[in-house]
Amino acid sequence: MLEIERIRVSYGAAPAISEVSIRIGPGELACVVGPNGAGKTTLINAIAGLHSIEAGALRLDGRDLSRLPRHAFCGEGIAIVPEGRRLFAGMNVRENLELGSYRRAARARRTESLDRVCEVFPILRERLEQPAGTLSGGEQQMLAIGRALMAQPRLLLLDEPSLGLAPAMVLAVFKVIKEINAGGVAVLLVEQNAALALEIAARAYVLEEGRIAAEGSPEALLAQPHIRRAYLG
Amino acid sequence: MALPSLTLLGQSLLSGIFIGALYGLLGLGLSLSWGMLRQINLAHFALAFLGAYLTYQLAGAGMDPLATLAVIVPCFFALGALMHWLLARFSVSAFNSLLVTFGLTAIIEALIQWIWTADFRRMESAYGEVKFRVGALYVALPELLTLAMALALSLAVWAWLRHTHTGKAMRAIAEDAPIAAAFGVNVRRLSLLLSGLSAAFAGVAGLALALSYTLAPGQIYAWLGVVFAAVMLGGLGNPLGPLVAGIVIGVSEALTMAFTTPAWAPLVSFSLLIVVLLARPGRI
Ligand SMILES: Nc1ncnc2c1ncn2[C@@H]1O[C@H](COP(=O)(O)OP(=O)(O)O)[C@@H](O)[C@H]1O
Ligand SMILES: [Mg+2]
Repeated sequence: MLEIERIRVSYGAAPAISEVSIRIGPGELACVVGPNGAGKTTLINAIAGLHSIEAGALRLDGRDLSRLPRHAFCGEGIAIVPEGRRLFAGMNVRENLELGSYRRAARARRTESLDRVCEVFPILRERLEQPAGTLSGGEQQMLAIGRALMAQPRLLLLDEPSLGLAPAMVLAVFKVIKEINAGGVAVLLVEQNAALALEIAARAYVLEEGRIAAEGSPEALLAQPHIRRAYLG
Repeated sequence: MALPSLTLLGQSLLSGIFIGALYGLLGLGLSLSWGMLRQINLAHFALAFLGAYLTYQLAGAGMDPLATLAVIVPCFFALGALMHWLLARFSVSAFNSLLVTFGLTAIIEALIQWIWTADFRRMESAYGEVKFRVGALYVALPELLTLAMALALSLAVWAWLRHTHTGKAMRAIAEDAPIAAAFGVNVRRLSLLLSGLSAAFAGVAGLALALSYTLAPGQIYAWLGVVFAAVMLGGLGNPLGPLVAGIVIGVSEALTMAFTTPAWAPLVSFSLLIVVLLARPGRI
């Protein structure tokens, strides 16, 4: 469903990623792993429309998105759980979730989506009227995922959802990601925690210094000793 | 030190509230575009004076001062949107927006001087002479109108931001515009809307100025310091902030004048500002 062909994204003059190509099939769970500064966030933000794409193509179900205005990406069925969560801290939990369903098509199903998100994350129902900034780290991550689910995405982008969470919370979050994926939503997961990501992904990409260094099934990648050493310690 | 009489005290309190309402009205648009779009629009004051002069002109041609809003508000809305478009187009940073709009202030001041000269201008209107008597105190209609407009606009913006779909999206833009866009918010369009509204509020403040004050081009700068203080005290982007802080400042100034001499009044607003900034650093 998602095809990225040799895209380049730069900050100023220096390209942060270049010649990056990845594919995600319908309902597939793919992951991108790689060291700090490799360009994972840049890549995932570009797919969400947060950065303009300098060269290459970004297609969703055959439609080229690279020339769309930024606010139109969501309407194509893409939703992001950004690095650092980036909640609207001064707005309450309900308002954050509602903003996830800002565009008209998602708004029509807002009540239903809100119920579903609160089923997945019951703690959010108790916190609905509380400012997002007052939530704990784990709750904030749930809210960031919930906000993205409110958009009714066909492709969910997750940037380091395990960052800063206690181990038990990480497992809970990964379980939810698997469930969302099982419900038919394609997922692109960016993770430093390569062991966990490779465990749930069907397809994996290794990004190094802005380029794809390796790709394939997690088993195939883990069979390569240098990748094993680099990412599983 | 002689204590002022109760009547004098009451009258000072009232005049403090009324001048505070004008601070709030002048500060509303400034606070919104600063707090939500990170554009510090110094030209807001010049726009308000341009609005005041236009009101003066139209009223001189026989229009009711309040009816001039029907002309001024749409024109200023368009002007504000245009200014935002230019600032956004050249991706001006918050600090540079201060410099650019300072330049714009000088241009508008020159324009006003060219059209209306540096002479004092005073709008003659039926409203100017109307006074109500409340017990021993007097309330002038222009001041009452100013308070009513400041209250109505501040509350309307508050309700818009708190309860409507686009208002909430506007708050999301203020916190993290790129993420708001990623969820489908048309950031450019809403920013134009907010800038247009801010400038339109400057136009309304202009009407209030023309109703109560004698106009001269140099007066543009007289309001700057105290309105900035009200905007910062009220919290940037908080629609009720400038009015509440404006009234606090206005009343403190008026009471200072009643108890000491007028020369101390300007000290009050800035002392208040400094105290509050020290007490809650990072909030602005
Ligand atoms: N806003 C920015 N401005 C300039 N350079 C940036 C910016 N964000 C990231 N970079 C640079 O781009 C490269 C990729 O960063 P990023 O995408 O955040 O990597 P990762 O998410 O894999 O840690 C890094 O070299 C980083 O320094
Ligand atoms: Mg990153």
